[in-house]
Amino acid sequence: MKKKSVMHYLINRRTLLWIVQLMVTLMLIIALVASPQMSQADRALMVSVSIAICAGVLIALYFWVIRPYRRVEHMINLFLEGYTLSGLDSTTTTISPLMERMVGSVKTELNASHLLKLSKRQAQFRALQNQINPHFLYNTLESIRSEALVAGLDSVAEMTEALAVFFRYTISKVENLVTMEEELQNCNTYFRIQQYRFGPRLSLDIQCDPEDKEAIYRCRIPKLTMQPILENSIIHGTEFKIGAGKLTVKLERTEDRLVILVSDDGIGMNEATLSKLNENLDKSGLALHEQKDESKGGVALVNVNNRIHLLFGEEYGLHVFSMPNVGTDVQIVLPMITSDRMVIGQEVL
Amino acid sequence: MKNEILRIDRVTCLDQGATELNHFCLDIDAGEIVGLIPLNDMGLTTLLRLLQQNLPIHYGYVYYRGKLVNQWKNPSGGYNRIALIENHSGLADDLTVADNVFVLRQGFKKIFIRQKVLNQQLEPFFKEIDVDLSPVACVRELPVFQRFVAELVKAVVAGCSLIVLREAGSIVSDAQLGYLHKILRHYANQGISFLYISNHYEEVGQICSRAALMQNGQIVKVLQTSDTTSDELQCLGVEDYTKLVYTQEETRHFAGKKKEVMALRSLYYGSINSLNLSINQGECVVLQDLDNNIFQQLIRLLSAEAKPMHGQIIVDDKVFDRSQIRDIAIVQQQPTQSMIFPHLSYMDNLCFTADHRLSSIWRHKRSRRNVRSEFEGLLGNEVFDRSVETLSQKEKYELVYTRILLQRPRVAVCVQPFMQADVSQRMQIWKLIDRLLEKKIAVVILAVNLTDSLSLADRLIQIEDGRVVSIYNRKDFDKLPSSTPWHNLWKNKSKTN
Repeated sequence: MKKKSVMHYLINRRTLLWIVQLMVTLMLIIALVASPQMSQADRALMVSVSIAICAGVLIALYFWVIRPYRRVEHMINLFLEGYTLSGLDSTTTTISPLMERMVGSVKTELNASHLLKLSKRQAQFRALQNQINPHFLYNTLESIRSEALVAGLDSVAEMTEALAVFFRYTISKVENLVTMEEELQNCNTYFRIQQYRFGPRLSLDIQCDPEDKEAIYRCRIPKLTMQPILENSIIHGTEFKIGAGKLTVKLERTEDRLVILVSDDGIGMNEATLSKLNENLDKSGLALHEQKDESKGGVALVNVNNRIHLLFGEEYGLHVFSMPNVGTDVQIVLPMITSDRMVIGQEVL
Repeated sequence: MKNEILRIDRVTCLDQGATELNHFCLDIDAGEIVGLIPLNDMGLTTLLRLLQQNLPIHYGYVYYRGKLVNQWKNPSGGYNRIALIENHSGLADDLTVADNVFVLRQGFKKIFIRQKVLNQQLEPFFKEIDVDLSPVACVRELPVFQRFVAELVKAVVAGCSLIVLREAGSIVSDAQLGYLHKILRHYANQGISFLYISNHYEEVGQICSRAALMQNGQIVKVLQTSDTTSDELQCLGVEDYTKLVYTQEETRHFAGKKKEVMALRSLYYGSINSLNLSINQGECVVLQDLDNNIFQQLIRLLSAEAKPMHGQIIVDDKVFDRSQIRDIAIVQQQPTQSMIFPHLSYMDNLCFTADHRLSSIWRHKRSRRNVRSEFEGLLGNEVFDRSVETLSQKEKYELVYTRILLQRPRVAVCVQPFMQADVSQRMQIWKLIDRLLEKKIAVVILAVNLTDSLSLADRLIQIEDGRVVSIYNRKDFDKLPSSTPWHNLWKNKSKTN
């Protein structure tokens, strides 16, 4: 059985009740044993002083012990539920030196750099898992393109070229942050490839206020932030829809935030599934440890969200809105940065 | 560049362990009017409190005017300068408008109040929005619309960047609503943002650029109202309701002229000015007051609390008096709050207006047993043994309307029955009123805005300046303006005919 600290007993409600009862009894005893020679005024003063001392002790107990303890307890609860990693190191109160050491140890275990590498590895294309040599892949695709051109199969040549460009971006460029413009180009390339499959059934519209376009396009964002979400919208949203599907990417900025909204008008999802998905996104800490089966869906979103949390903090990330037969919106909120030096978690880059 | 006034970011809020807000996400820009349509009422009260008070939250972040004002790690407490305007007045009734706007404002420190100066300062605000409202008028005497405007001006003067309006459409009349929208647009152009809460898509679509749909404490979708057609809006989250109304429309027929059960003849009382109308057995009539002026007076007359200055109320060919009080049943506004008596048992709550039919019910257990067995099928068995305070909203609505059924009046007068009800409640109320009609009880719905009432109505009677100005029969409903709720239903019907 685990040993419980005095603090643990102290915050126990029953113990608090005992303390209050003890103080009231103490006050009564003081009032009773007070010297009979004491005047009524002195007796009243004595009782008032003892009441004031008791109240002071209780207030101090609340502000210095109970409130900090509850805050730490809330943080630990959220951590256990899988909500937060950053909460652990941001906590200012530690209950005991031993707990401080434990928090330090957990922080080392959950080293952000290590987690980011883990997440990045997942986000990189599945081809990496198959250990395909990128140069071999590009050369082969180039050969197919040449053969197609010679044979007059222009569409095959274009498709192969798009595939080569897509793989080059996904596999070869290993840096963490890219410009929004590069990411959008990759989305367009990916969409071109998908259009060979879906034809006019699928359309993509990128909306951006012309006044903000330059600033937004220069903005640095984690690589492969948008393409997995676009892929999700096609596979889980519009693929099963009867009739044409429309994908929209809306780019907006505030003074310090970049807001990307990837929308589809596909089959959507019910309220319970949506709630579960958003819960998984918020509980990113848990998701990093429980590497879920990719086939279950929603993993791409969780991965992108984890990388954003690790790079920029928990104030940023993904959120999903959806209604059955209406469509799904994925909102990505990022800091508005134009240089890698502005990243909070620079050490993980 | 967007200038965000409010951002509620992935907020989860618990109340006694139960989730009230669930990963709630909503942002409002400066000068934007955003609609909020609650598909059910879970979490709505908590949201309104959270906006104003920075309650402790389980997880998430709240930003107001670009500053982080609340977060899970360290709840800041304190208040945000966000105004809430709803059905219940937030003004001090016994003070003047100027006193409410200036003296009760946070940060007002003057010891000596110069009423004349305050009045002079306030007048330009009303002139700006073209409202004829005296700064020295006592709030208690103001009509609903003027009270609403006074609250709005108070929020603007107090420097609120965000104003929350709850169910404005069920408080002010159609014409006044149009004017209110004009005022909101005026302030929106000055950079003030609005969160416009309404259960009705048509109303939100008229004024809001975006509409957020809230279900079980989370925002499930944010729609651009300009891109969404009224047909699509109608279908969002209310498919079952739409289906119910359309099915009923096909099956229910009001069979011609029936016996007159109630008539108002040249009625004068307060603002009621020569009101003439007649109600037939089993008929559903919607009385729409375009000024929102006469309902309280009409209810006083119909509940025999007052006598008309001139004219007569005829019920069953007799002049209405206290002896016929059970012939007219009044279902008050928000009846689950105003018509359930917590100190009475469920059975007492159910039967106390049926004393004229079941005089022995309080003396004989057998009578009570009979009532119980008769209504068990309708209400369920276990509700009879429960305290009424523990009943759900649904069970409370059932109780109120079943009481009317048991009372068996000639006419049931329902005051704004759909007010502040979410979709599932509206559907239930709709069915309950339909049940009264099936029992040949005439139903008079007193409405400021038409909302769902028209889908049940056989006739719509519009009242202005205390008298009838127009009457529409069911077959003429397609001639009403296109913004009228359920207009598509009548339009489609007239096309098929």
